[in-house]
Amino acid sequence: MKKINKTYLIVASIVLMFSIKGNAQIVKAEIRATGLTCSMCSNAINKQLKTLPEVVNVETDLNTNTFTVTLTEGNNLSPKVFKEKVEKAGFFIGTLVITAKPETITKSPYILVNDIATNGTEIQFQVVDKGYVTEKEFKKLSKSYKNVETYAAINEDDFHIKILN
Amino acid sequence: MRKIILFFIAVSCQDVFSQELFVVTDPASNVPANSLAVNVMQSLFKEEMKSGYNYHFMPEVTYGLNKNIMFRASAFISNRSNQLVTEGGSFYTKYRFYSSDDLNSHFRMAAFGRYSFNNADIHQEQIEILGHNTGFEGGFVATKLIKKLAISSSISFEKAFDNKPDYPFPDNMGDNATNYTLSFGKLMYPKKYTSYKQTNINLMIEFVGQTINENGKSYVDVVPAIQFIFNSQARLDFAYRQELLSSMVRSAPNGFYFNLYYTFFNLKK
Repeated sequence: MKKINKTYLIVASIVLMFSIKGNAQIVKAEIRATGLTCSMCSNAINKQLKTLPEVVNVETDLNTNTFTVTLTEGNNLSPKVFKEKVEKAGFFIGTLVITAKPETITKSPYILVNDIATNGTEIQFQVVDKGYVTEKEFKKLSKSYKNVETYAAINEDDFHIKILN
Repeated sequence: MRKIILFFIAVSCQDVFSQELFVVTDPASNVPANSLAVNVMQSLFKEEMKSGYNYHFMPEVTYGLNKNIMFRASAFISNRSNQLVTEGGSFYTKYRFYSSDDLNSHFRMAAFGRYSFNNADIHQEQIEILGHNTGFEGGFVATKLIKKLAISSSISFEKAFDNKPDYPFPDNMGDNATNYTLSFGKLMYPKKYTSYKQTNINLMIEFVGQTINENGKSYVDVVPAIQFIFNSQARLDFAYRQELLSSMVRSAPNGFYFNLYYTFFNLKK
């Protein structure tokens, strides 16, 4: 009897885990990188992003250094992984715009800095934390968000987001 | 000479511009983390004190440990003894300690160190641990990139030891020097990118100088270069080095460089 209960629990939690994953996921990430103008530098970022097994495709605009990363369904990636990959290539993130299922942002690591009602099937938001915007932009935003207590704390594991659509 | 150094420092501190994969000077940026770059450098310099050319062959491997630290190992092969002989090798490391990046621009600073060993005869006052002397070098480099223009400047201390086993460093020569460089690089082509496959062309000009600390003997060279980047992964440099001024004995100051460079991205996943 005990054994059955255990199995049931495991199965139930696995099902639950997958259903969370399915609802809370990043569909697409649009990264604009800073600090580069050469195509070899850009290729370094491109190759870094492609090492992620969750990445289906990377499209690059070499003139603006924008990388549009399409991700597999059911992935569990956080915005942090993009920052790590770009920095490994030797550069930084200038802007990061994420397209995701609406359920994604209701969960804990995300803190909204603006309030916009969204009813689409997908939402778009920009991560506005330090390291996800240019240094100049971060200085500006620090002033605008001085009322958001967690923003100034610069905790690497929470993400302040601005809804765009 | 002090004025020249101050000038270089002043210029490097100004807000200037970027394509920074220079031929002689290493920029403040590193190779990508977990990537391996292989470089085959060849140089052919005209001998001043005898007839003929001094040929150097210098294979290098560079590895990016993480985003801030890279390591490089080099071997020195030359024809100085009339046949190709491996004369020595070198270890180099660079640590990027400052980065300030913005869209299409950056300013970076790094510290670097090199140790080389060499068994060739010592035949000039110029101290060159890349292929001639046993010794070490330590210094700083700052690189500014603005859109298509890169400017980089470095300053370093270099000290020579005996070229063991047969050639002790001569007592009558200064065994340590200050090195300074100022480099400009500009992306000339393409004007607008369409793909990674496009060939990039960079034009560069570098000024490379040295002052022997004991006696003030100095040289300043200019190194113009053209660089091709293929498939955003391979690099080919042609450069010419010309002495502008010198008050020291140098065996072969003028000549050509020919470099081939290839990057293997993401060694292990």
